[in-house]
Amino acid sequence: MQTKTLVLLAFLGVSVVLLAFAAALPSGGLLDILKLILLVLALLFDILAFASRFYTYLMVPALQQRSKDIILSNDEAYTISPSADSTIHKEGSEFVATVYVSIPLYRSATEMSDEEKLDFTRQVSKLVGVSGDPVRFTSELYVMNKDAYIQTLKDTINSLENDVVALTSKKSQPKELDRAKGKLAMWHNMLDNIEKVQSLELVTYAAVSAKGTKEFEAVSIAQQRARDIMSGIGSIFGVTPSIVTGQELLKFIEPEYLIPFSTISEQLSRNIQQVI
Amino acid sequence: MDEEAIMYLLLTFMVALAVVLILPSFGKGIVSILALILALVTVAIIVMLNWADFIIFPLVTSLLGMTFQPARNYKITKNQDAIVKNVNGLYYATGYVTANLLPYVFKLESRQEEENQKMLQAPDTWERAIMNIGFPFKFHVLSSGLDVQDVRDELEGKRSYQEFQLSRLQQGSNASETAVTEIRRKISVLQTKIDRISQGEKPIATIMYFETTAVDVSEKAAVDRLSAQIKSLQVSFSSLDVQLAKVVGRELYTLFKFNFSLPTTYTEISGYFDRQS
Repeated sequence: MQTKTLVLLAFLGVSVVLLAFAAALPSGGLLDILKLILLVLALLFDILAFASRFYTYLMVPALQQRSKDIILSNDEAYTISPSADSTIHKEGSEFVATVYVSIPLYRSATEMSDEEKLDFTRQVSKLVGVSGDPVRFTSELYVMNKDAYIQTLKDTINSLENDVVALTSKKSQPKELDRAKGKLAMWHNMLDNIEKVQSLELVTYAAVSAKGTKEFEAVSIAQQRARDIMSGIGSIFGVTPSIVTGQELLKFIEPEYLIPFSTISEQLSRNIQQVI
Repeated sequence: MDEEAIMYLLLTFMVALAVVLILPSFGKGIVSILALILALVTVAIIVMLNWADFIIFPLVTSLLGMTFQPARNYKITKNQDAIVKNVNGLYYATGYVTANLLPYVFKLESRQEEENQKMLQAPDTWERAIMNIGFPFKFHVLSSGLDVQDVRDELEGKRSYQEFQLSRLQQGSNASETAVTEIRRKISVLQTKIDRISQGEKPIATIMYFETTAVDVSEKAAVDRLSAQIKSLQVSFSSLDVQLAKVVGRELYTLFKFNFSLPTTYTEISGYFDRQS
């Protein structure tokens, strides 16, 4: 018997027993209060019996742990497959593999004619029906990680500052010195502008899952489904979709990959400045 | 309402009915009236749970201060409106907003020109909305194909029922013109759907929602920032003329799980969503 049915029957059973006690007790005086308490408890269990329809997954751990902070699972939410092209989540005795397909769409409505806009909307509605299996299509806007670029700019500025110092100490031609100073000012401006503006990037991708009793079985079915979707997407938009692998997968799953750390520290320091 | 809901309602209502049957054992005074009131309140709570558990459940968890850990490093807050992840002292709060756009673009009762006009405006409206947003978000469309024959049978059944209603109404001596028009409109919508399927269009079920993440140095600050972001999403996408409702309760947990494992059949999807989406 399923846990859900067992929980329902258990709560209903307790409710009926309490009700029977309430009915069996003689009336009068303090016994009436006891009867009412039993009745309230019976009805409370009746409500819990109905609530078990939606919340069995919470009720069982809540009853076992008897705590305000209930742990439904202490495992990692997912693992990445050894081939690094899918995520694996364990559900009971089964494995669910999820594959992510990147859809390279770089078109903007501002550069489309009316007819192209209509075609594009029709293509999007076709995309939604590309597969009979459940597929999730996502458009994700995330903050670009400019840390590496900013570091390159800082390195360039350091090197140019050294050049300026060297040229000043060598007492070289003023023209050469001016050019070096000009370059330095340009890179400084570039760095200031890059740090001032938060750049956002929009990506589109599809995700599909498959179940299997073994990890490799789930992964291979999910990969097959992903390939079917990729051919559908390719024929609708005329682009070449690709399966997302490795570190790139995390961008679609983990919240911390949506906002780079440098952006957060800048956001926090701005907040502190505002408070001050 | 599905069979499971009916079964749960019947079984639990039977307990409330049993209270009414044993009322004589409570005597004839105030105790008996109190017992009847309690039974009625129970029925009311059960009915509310069936149709609006997303209101009652967060209320209960909030009052009791209950939180849930759906996976390592994640926590569902007591208000059941955000999932918080702690990464090296930084808190990432994630929340969801429902947004079913498809009926907006593919409203069946609209005329072809109206539909085209909306489809034409859709890319512009979408881009304008995105341009106003300065924080990360995701827009998800979870789609699943339906069984063509099942959908066709269901639609034909609904059409037959409407046709029966129409003929009954017309047989009556004082048939209201408004009621007749309304039934004719319903029949026309159903017929359009049947025609589309006959023309080879696949029936698709979709669930659409937004997901956004906010980050801060404390859980409360992150959740507050998330609320602001959700409000901003609701304002930015209000131009799409869709209902944008914040997801709370068990559907939040379901959507969180979708980040790691999607449902693999339509039956699974329909079991998860029945109210907020």
